[in-house]
Amino acid sequence: MPPFAGAAGLAATTPAAAIVTLNVGGRIFQTTPQTLAAAGPSSLLSSLPPFIDRDPDLFAAILALLRTGRLPSSSFSGEASVDISDLFAEAEFYGLDPRLLLPSFSSSSFSPLSLRRSLLLPLPGRDPVSVLSAAPSGELIAAHGSKITSFDFTLRNRRTTLTSLPAVDSVLSLPYSHLAAAGAADFPGLQLLDLSSRSLRKTLHWRPHPSAPGATVQAIAAAADRQILFSSYETGRRNASAILAFDLAPNGEFRPVSEIARREIYGAELDSAIPATKLRWVPYLNILMAAGSHWGPSGVLGEIRLWDIRSGGDPAWELKEKTDCFADVTVSDELSAVFKVGVNSGDVFMADLRKLNAAEPWVGLGGWRWNGENLGNKEGKGCKIECEGRHVFCSRGGEVELWSEVTMAAAAAAEEKVMRRNVMGRAKDVGGARILQMVFGGKRMAVARSEVSGVEVWESSDRG
Amino acid sequence: MAAGGASDYTTALRPSGERRIKLNVGGKIFETTASTLRVGGPDSLLSALSARSGTVEEDSYEPIFIDRDPDMFSVLLSLLRSGSLPSSGFRRFSKQDLSDEALYYGIESCIRSALSPPPLLGIDSTLVSTLVPAADAVSTAFHAGSDDGSLWIAHGGQISAYDWNLTHSGTVRTHLDDITSLRRVWPETAAIGSLETPGLHYYNVSSGRHVGSINWMDSSDHRVYKARVTAIAAIESGFDGGSGPIFAAFECPHRENCILMIDRSTLQIVSEIGRQPGSSTKTAAPGKLVDLPDVGGGVLFVSAVSSGAFGYSGYMRLWDPRTGTAVWETNEPGGGTRSDRFGDSFADVDADGKEMAIYKVCWKSGDLAIADMRKLGEDPWMYLEERSASLRSSGGGQNSIVHCYKGQVFLSREGGLEVWSTAEEEDDQGVKKKIFRRNLVDRPGDARRGMIRGLEAGGDRLFVSRVGLEGIEVWESSELSGGIPLL
Repeated sequence: MPPFAGAAGLAATTPAAAIVTLNVGGRIFQTTPQTLAAAGPSSLLSSLPPFIDRDPDLFAAILALLRTGRLPSSSFSGEASVDISDLFAEAEFYGLDPRLLLPSFSSSSFSPLSLRRSLLLPLPGRDPVSVLSAAPSGELIAAHGSKITSFDFTLRNRRTTLTSLPAVDSVLSLPYSHLAAAGAADFPGLQLLDLSSRSLRKTLHWRPHPSAPGATVQAIAAAADRQILFSSYETGRRNASAILAFDLAPNGEFRPVSEIARREIYGAELDSAIPATKLRWVPYLNILMAAGSHWGPSGVLGEIRLWDIRSGGDPAWELKEKTDCFADVTVSDELSAVFKVGVNSGDVFMADLRKLNAAEPWVGLGGWRWNGENLGNKEGKGCKIECEGRHVFCSRGGEVELWSEVTMAAAAAAEEKVMRRNVMGRAKDVGGARILQMVFGGKRMAVARSEVSGVEVWESSDRG
Repeated sequence: MAAGGASDYTTALRPSGERRIKLNVGGKIFETTASTLRVGGPDSLLSALSARSGTVEEDSYEPIFIDRDPDMFSVLLSLLRSGSLPSSGFRRFSKQDLSDEALYYGIESCIRSALSPPPLLGIDSTLVSTLVPAADAVSTAFHAGSDDGSLWIAHGGQISAYDWNLTHSGTVRTHLDDITSLRRVWPETAAIGSLETPGLHYYNVSSGRHVGSINWMDSSDHRVYKARVTAIAAIESGFDGGSGPIFAAFECPHRENCILMIDRSTLQIVSEIGRQPGSSTKTAAPGKLVDLPDVGGGVLFVSAVSSGAFGYSGYMRLWDPRTGTAVWETNEPGGGTRSDRFGDSFADVDADGKEMAIYKVCWKSGDLAIADMRKLGEDPWMYLEERSASLRSSGGGQNSIVHCYKGQVFLSREGGLEVWSTAEEEDDQGVKKKIFRRNLVDRPGDARRGMIRGLEAGGDRLFVSRVGLEGIEVWESSELSGGIPLL
């Protein structure tokens, strides 16, 4: 919601009596109450005294932002040029949401086709990045070795926290807090860390029975709308697994709410307890997707389960993957479909959530190249797939391909979606070390690459 | 960014009762309030100007004229208004320009806190600069200011001083040719010693003058002469409120050695402790002295290490300087060391009075061990183990240097730099405890600059000297992400 809608138009017809005159640090500014009100009711700007002891150049830029909705480029050049980071601090002083200063935040929607590789955020120390998490508001956290580095939404400030985990293998930035949840694949317990005070808030354990040692964390997800934290656990001996839901409400003290998908191995049935290594929450449908796979002598076996957490008990839908099992899988609520990249073919497939019970739910979106006869080459090994909005991102080695939906004029409702593939980036952006993860937040994409001690950021730009 | 926000509102938006002041700095008009000008302290020039009578509302009001650069004043005024320096100020002016200008206005304390590095965090520190003296620049000893981040470097026979902003403030040539120990005993006075020339010598670093000397003499034993200084300990006066004594270890040519306790104000010898023949490694001259005034009413930690074809050996001892007796002692190899650690004696050791801990690094295994000074006994050592498999093997501790600072232990491995810092962990009962974790501080390329031979932290800066490297490296933590544009 742009707060400045209509502010410029009103200015032309305002009677002289309604003009506000301000003296900021010795310079006189004249504006209207409507322009100042664009900063929002909680802002200091809606009730300013006639003299403000602050820097006039910075105020001039902020006033220009309130008048037009964007920062004029003249703010950053010439004699009275200001630095964007000073403007962030000044906006905070005036009680204005500093996010308004970022051009990408003021544009209304996320436009993945205009993303370009823009920034490399170096991580301190020598450990390469292992896993990322991005908040919708634009904050980013990156785990490297036993450390977690958090970046604020401007990506200008960072803060590093040391954990007691041997190496952080899964991390999640929790909504509306300074907390991060972190787990390791070889060390028990899910740790909730307060990144602002660099302290441990709580450790959440799961044990299949009271005397058993704690289980390790395989995947984490949060349902921000329902204030639930999900964690997939597997015991150290790999003979039991479960997904636990914890209460994220402010007074919930992270109490376990429910335990779903509990599996235990009896005998030699190894495939019966594949732990979920990927969890995704679908807010509109109240569904949790849990997926895990197992590389065995007979090939890759996997299963994808969708849980309706209100009903508990058995999964709402379950799919065993035997031929061309997923290398990675994700779910999109906007497209109401599950997407996977096949480990053998390397192709991207879609399964409509409304037609999951069909004999073959998977529909191929077309390959990155058609080599159906080459099945079995593990073309999809290491590929990652993620959804953001109505877009599907699939990594292939060091490249990212973007599948976007094309809305056809004459399409009947029952017809298949038309999805088309794009390779992201210009020639100089394509390639690089193998991609470990892609995360989305604050209208940006952040990418972790293998053995790189930094985080790559893709932003959309209104320039060239 | 958010810090101080609440108080800013009150200072900037105080109702119109606040007296406003107009300044004309170099032809540019600034308007501010008397309370903003007083932020720099009562003695500043700006405070004095704020006391002038008159207010902007009067017709006869004339802006106060200051004949200085207006752009630089604008940056400093932002500092007074918001408590932090605008980053556009750094872009336009050097730190040196800004601190000089702040000195003129008398608001040096404000600029100091704005320009000082954030708390030193070993897991997040990078090389920010290398201070290289003009001549004979390979450092032979250095001393980090305990609180303010300043540095004195001894290089050959010269001492170069760098202030809190790491600005070179002067170089002094001493009569020594190879200074191997250097401590600051007064804000302007250095105590220096050399392994080649006898005596402990005092120099005033700002005037460049020799202030005095001390030699270890014994009227009853004429073999005690030409004793050289092997180590000095002096907690900086004026910082920890210390007017405590200076300790210096002396060694005669025939290896007899002792520690002299010296009065800081008179710079004269008070007493002699720990005199020993020096005939074996157990009685060798100390290579390290650490004054621990907070421990048990004040003790002195002493250690000596020697290495040869068969490995390392050495001792460490805690002296009570008031009685002149050793309150605790251990020798390695031997002492109370467990049999499985026999032969793995320490390569270096450091003591931390605030944490009540002694840290040692073993030469063979490279392991770091910690001893609690409250529970010293036969074998007080607890060997720290890293949990991450990729960092468990440390690769030996030969030539390692250990230095503790604010609860973190910095450790050099040849050219590499690592840090052990604490992380919180919760046990089954929900009780939190701290465990030590190992992390590499440097990038692979950093280690290739040469073996680390000196490691000292002060004022949230870590200083590193390397064999054959000119100057001293400065490592700091940063709160800025330092993103690299790829567009």
